Amino acid sequence: MGNVLVWVIWVAAALSCIGSGIAVISFTNPFYSALALIGNLASLAVLFLLASAEFVAAAQILVYAGAVMVMFLFVIAYLGGRADAPWAGGPRWLQIGAFVVGAAIMIEVIVALATKAGGGLSNGTEITRSFGSPAEIGRLFLTDHLLAFEITSIVLLIAAVGGVVLGMKTQAEGEAS
Amino acid sequence: MSLVPHVLLSSGVNGEPWWIAIVKAFIVINLVLVTFAYLTLAERKIMGRMQLRYGPNRAGPFGLLQPIADLVKLIRKESFFPAAAIDVLYIFSPFLAAFTALCTFSVIPWGPGWEIGGYQINGYVADLPIALLLIFAIGSIGIYGFILGGWSSDSKYALLGSMRTCAQLVSYEVALALSVLGVVLMSRSLSLVDIVAAQANETWYVLPQFVGFVVFLMAGTAETARAPFDLPEAEQELVAGYHTEYGGMRFGLFSMSEYINLITLSALCVTLFLGGWHGPLFPGPIWFLLKLFFLLFLFIWVRTTVPRLRYDQLMRFGWKVLLPVATLNAVVTAILVVAL
Repeated sequence: MGNVLVWVIWVAAALSCIGSGIAVISFTNPFYSALALIGNLASLAVLFLLASAEFVAAAQILVYAGAVMVMFLFVIAYLGGRADAPWAGGPRWLQIGAFVVGAAIMIEVIVALATKAGGGLSNGTEITRSFGSPAEIGRLFLTDHLLAFEITSIVLLIAAVGGVVLGMKTQAEGEAS
Repeated sequence: MSLVPHVLLSSGVNGEPWWIAIVKAFIVINLVLVTFAYLTLAERKIMGRMQLRYGPNRAGPFGLLQPIADLVKLIRKESFFPAAAIDVLYIFSPFLAAFTALCTFSVIPWGPGWEIGGYQINGYVADLPIALLLIFAIGSIGIYGFILGGWSSDSKYALLGSMRTCAQLVSYEVALALSVLGVVLMSRSLSLVDIVAAQANETWYVLPQFVGFVVFLMAGTAETARAPFDLPEAEQELVAGYHTEYGGMRFGLFSMSEYINLITLSALCVTLFLGGWHGPLFPGPIWFLLKLFFLLFLFIWVRTTVPRLRYDQLMRFGWKVLLPVATLNAVVTAILVVAL
């Protein structure tokens, strides 16, 4: 019973993930592309849930689907383009190129998994109750992956400071003119 | 068996059959809807009294049937929408707003749990290890209902209203999330059931986390776009904000989701800071409701008392006052939790 449910949800989430991914690059109107990207991030969150990573799923929705995409929609709605049809029809050479490159990367991933993973994929791993919990993730961040964690935080800090500096500069220019 | 993800194990894990959770979800949703209906009446009555008016008093004794009259009026209205609106998004966004508002209440605990007729009945619909994050995550999805509604209406007032909603909600969400960090640090859990249990053992977190409590109330008022932070729907400037072009029950759904967000936020505040359903003498749900009604009254009181901020004041207050205070509170709490 449980496993059938898992399969049904997995297939639905995976199809919606691929479908919304294709929609992101096929829509002509950027507003609809952004909406499709939200759908894509949400279906990814469902896949995370199925992998027992509840914290990552919630963070995915909260940070990416919630905060980041609101900024995207904000900018797109301000800059207009509302009257554009959602889809102009017919693929463009850019989309065909994107499809070819995407297919190449997918084949590469499949080949890499097939040659390297071996039998590890067919055996289910025992998942403990604490797997994917906030406490466990926090422990991993501050022990095994401390260096990567600290480097990421510094990069984010630099980005935040950079954003403030860029914003101040444009404001000063605006006042001068 | 081990391949079944945690999320499917969450229900029924505490010895409760799955169908009880569904029955409880049905009851809780309907109770929230009734609370919403009578919150609108209470708000109009209390505001009326505070402004030396009577408030609605025609429908039924003391105007008690007013919410039902409003509902019938909204449902019977013509489903009008502007010719230039984008149909799918225009129709979809009120549903999104109402759905996200209703489902966040599922993780809020309102009682100790009982054993009735041999069945274990928990005092919550769902207990998740990430319940607090879930509430914020679903709330952040709910913002899209407001943005899409305003954008798809093809009206400058609606668009400006949804832009304001967007900017305000994103700004204050940061302070709101940081203000509860102190509670999470003290209780060492993101599960609301655990947080309530921790407060029963120690003390209500409103005392040690008073700064967090005040920041939470202020940021929460802004998150639910209520006075004095009701810039997104400031009548004098924007007609009605993002739902300017909505009428009938579609407007009703937007209005409902705003009120239900307020109820959920108050319930979350009760859970995080005021000891949840714990209290002497009365059973748990009664205490939960008493605390909930007290906070709702507080929000109505603030609405009638404080005038609306200017937009730049709103942004400055959010980013330069609330956010640093909330951050400082989280840092100090972290140091104290580790040191003590």
